[in-house]
Amino acid sequence: MTPQPAVAMYVHVPFCRGKCRYCAFVSEPVTPARAETVVAALIHEACQRAQPDTVETLYIGGGCPTVLPETDLLRFVTVLAESHPHVTEFTVEAHPAQVSGPLLRRLREAGVNRLSIGAQSFVPGELQRLGRAHTTADVAHSVYAACRAGFGNLSLDLIAAVPGSTLGDFEHSLRCAIDLAPRHVSVYALSYEAGTELTRQRDAGLIEPVDEETDRAMTFAAIEILAAAGFEQYEISNFARPGFECRHNLTYWANRPWLGIGPSAASWDGVRRTTNVADVEEYLRRIAADQEPWNEVVSPDPIEIACETAVLNLRRRGGIDLAEYQRATGFDAMELFAEAIAEHVQAGFLACRDGRVVLTTAAVPVADRILCDFAAL
Amino acid sequence: MTGPMGTEHIRNFSIVAHIDHGKSTLADRLLERTGAVSDRDKKDQMLDDMDLERERGITIKSSAVTMTYHRHGRDYMLNLIDTPGHVDFHYEVSRSLAACEGALLVVDAAQGIEAQTVANAYLAVDTHNEIIPVVNKIDLPAAAPDRVAEEIEHVFGIEREACIFLSAKTGQGVEALLDAVVDRLPPPADRLDEPTAALIFDSWADPYRGVVCMVRAFAGELVVGRKIRLMSSGRTYTVTELGRLAPMPTPIERLGCGEVGYVIANIRRLADVTVGETITDDARPAARPLPGYKRPVQMVFSDFYPGQNTDYPRLRAAFEKLTLNDASFSFSPHNSAALGFGFRCGFLGLLHMEIIQERLERESDVEVVQTAPTVSYEVLTSDGQVTRIDSPSALPDRSRLAEIREPIVRLEVLTTTETIGGVMKLAEQRRCRLLRTDTLGPTRVLLEYKAPLAEIVYDFYDQLKGISHGYATMDYDFVAFEPGDLVKIDILVNKEPVDALSMIVHRSVAEVRGRQMLMRLRDAIPRHQFEVPLQAAIGGKIIARETIKAFRKDVTAKLYGGDVTRKMKVLKRQREGKKRMKAIGRVQIPQEAFMSVLNRGDKS
Repeated sequence: MTPQPAVAMYVHVPFCRGKCRYCAFVSEPVTPARAETVVAALIHEACQRAQPDTVETLYIGGGCPTVLPETDLLRFVTVLAESHPHVTEFTVEAHPAQVSGPLLRRLREAGVNRLSIGAQSFVPGELQRLGRAHTTADVAHSVYAACRAGFGNLSLDLIAAVPGSTLGDFEHSLRCAIDLAPRHVSVYALSYEAGTELTRQRDAGLIEPVDEETDRAMTFAAIEILAAAGFEQYEISNFARPGFECRHNLTYWANRPWLGIGPSAASWDGVRRTTNVADVEEYLRRIAADQEPWNEVVSPDPIEIACETAVLNLRRRGGIDLAEYQRATGFDAMELFAEAIAEHVQAGFLACRDGRVVLTTAAVPVADRILCDFAAL
Repeated sequence: MTGPMGTEHIRNFSIVAHIDHGKSTLADRLLERTGAVSDRDKKDQMLDDMDLERERGITIKSSAVTMTYHRHGRDYMLNLIDTPGHVDFHYEVSRSLAACEGALLVVDAAQGIEAQTVANAYLAVDTHNEIIPVVNKIDLPAAAPDRVAEEIEHVFGIEREACIFLSAKTGQGVEALLDAVVDRLPPPADRLDEPTAALIFDSWADPYRGVVCMVRAFAGELVVGRKIRLMSSGRTYTVTELGRLAPMPTPIERLGCGEVGYVIANIRRLADVTVGETITDDARPAARPLPGYKRPVQMVFSDFYPGQNTDYPRLRAAFEKLTLNDASFSFSPHNSAALGFGFRCGFLGLLHMEIIQERLERESDVEVVQTAPTVSYEVLTSDGQVTRIDSPSALPDRSRLAEIREPIVRLEVLTTTETIGGVMKLAEQRRCRLLRTDTLGPTRVLLEYKAPLAEIVYDFYDQLKGISHGYATMDYDFVAFEPGDLVKIDILVNKEPVDALSMIVHRSVAEVRGRQMLMRLRDAIPRHQFEVPLQAAIGGKIIARETIKAFRKDVTAKLYGGDVTRKMKVLKRQREGKKRMKAIGRVQIPQEAFMSVLNRGDKS
């Protein structure tokens, strides 16, 4: 097996204005000097590892890229865009309180054509509980500003099952999001990650997680309400109007090769999965010393790759495309996972149709119970 | 130690006692006083040679030690024959006692008589042993030797003056005991001239020597090189070695009448020898075997399944190894529709089962799933035939069933007067019929019951301990099979009967037992993506039901490139968890579910 060139590049910007209570991503508060150093390092790594001929999508996330000083962010975006001529989708994650009309225009001019705005909720109390430093009005303003700046492809992130949230609250957020007419909506049920403030509060009994039934009802509410508004669920947590699926993220679920740049970012070339050091200081040191930035290398064997591919494919509502799967992994998925497929088809959680194995809607809230049977043979 | 001719100088005796009353310490002290064991090579509790026994404080295989004691100007040969303490080994105890003329009845000076003391003492009397009552642990601050002596007089009718008061720990009184052994216990009858008859009271497999038998010669003698015959099996062997355990094996040429020692005779399999067998001389056989021979009766049964199907051969190998030094344990292949291939195992009793379980865990690393213990039943079918069944699933169809008979035991419970109410209530719930109460002094009562064994294997002991604040002790002894109003309860998981969970119970408690079982299953079976109904049924009639609610939400919200490695690990672990369970239809049942049924009551 030989490594394949990446078709997607992700860049992790390790800065935030403050830590949200649910967030386990690597980030630190930003200072101008620090930003310059880190951006220089990111550019350095991106150029070193660039695969300009094959990369089709770029995605700058974090952290919060829009917390960077404007000049640094624009410089960075410009370098990335110019060095990747075949890019058709260039996403930047944006914080609703950190985007101005001029910045958005310049980003658009520099080649960014998709914004992912972290709306999270349209219930003020929920934003507070999540520790988000923005208001619901900020979200609306950022969306209008983005539209005026020429962004036709906007995505809003929502968080479901925020402590204290009711099904009604969540439906309100969904409707508000729809009213802003994005092309894409991501709905993430809140997960309690180790080391986060929210997890600490839960363990200390200060907050009560949303009960399982409500959480489940929210999952179905998202599917139904978004479908009624023309958004199709194309992955467990992602909804889009036809043609506006996030191509960058589809690369992950197809298990095609991608490059990850920046602290803690992972890359996959079809042979190895490398993960960069998470510690920003150590990352900078390695880049400065021209050393490999990763400290974790995994080389899955063909069966493991086949399992990973199946799990990732099944996250898509389009599921495993058997022909595509065979080409990518060399295995017949129907044969490889015969037992699991038979069991879950019988239980009504999987369906086989049109050369595909897909999760049924009933399986969505309990998908891990099904996917785990594809995680190993 | 070649003693004078005759048997006048021989004393064969055992020590009978409740588990913690200091039997092993006393045995050690006797060995020390007679010089059989020097301090240097002394191990604690010399007679208990398996780790397990030491840990549990129980002797599960008997052994015997020969000592020399000087008194009245001559050497006496004292053979101390060890007895297992627990009634599961009742038969082995009885054979050990049969090999003796006397028994030291040891009672703790602080705790007094226990149920086990009573059962074992009766057994010693039944086997015509002269009893020397011994009040041990007189050095304890809480010791009340006079009160205990009074109890002994009251319960056994032995005058309190006959008691030897000692402390095995400090050694105080041990000389007096040895003197009493010589002076008060009778020597064996001298029947040297009669045809050889030696009783096998213990046997084990030595990896290098084959089977070693411990014997007591009642008549004639055993001589190296002679051909012997086992009277019940008819098999013949040539004696290759004779010896005494002093306590190290000491070979001898002859084992004379009245003596105790070991015999090695090229016997390959432990199963070829049964405790209670009579060895005779092949050329000049005894007219009849020594009395009291029985094959060990297995009363408690349980199925063992390998946690992974591939472990089946390993489980078999592990069981085969266990039978090498425990012939009273049996196993046979058993195929359950729900659980696949496993083994049906038979035990003498509950304690015996626990010991085997522990040895299995310790000596092999095979994961097992074990079903609820059941007792053996006698079934009368409509055609008048009587068969023994050892599993509820072996019960014939209801249309052919005329009568189910269950094993009945005589149960002795010793408890305090304050807790007697609770104990009697428990006994009543368990269908025990009170035969007799006996007050042992102002605070203690002995209760004697006729009880169904099935009710005793059912967490009875744990409950008894709880009710009596740890005080009560119990013992039981099989009496007979008797008909009862018994029904078979089927347990259905997701509408499918799980044969391994079915049980035979008395009709009066069927609903309660069914419900208890379902509640335990409900707590033990993990949730699934669908609702799982649990039902208990008699025939086609549902008598209890429970539901395991479905998993409602279990999905990772974000799975992008950077999360793949970590998420795959989590999913693999989740899958491993599922794989460790046995699938019943679409439902996965973990080993704990079976264990929770097995352990019925609260784990002690």
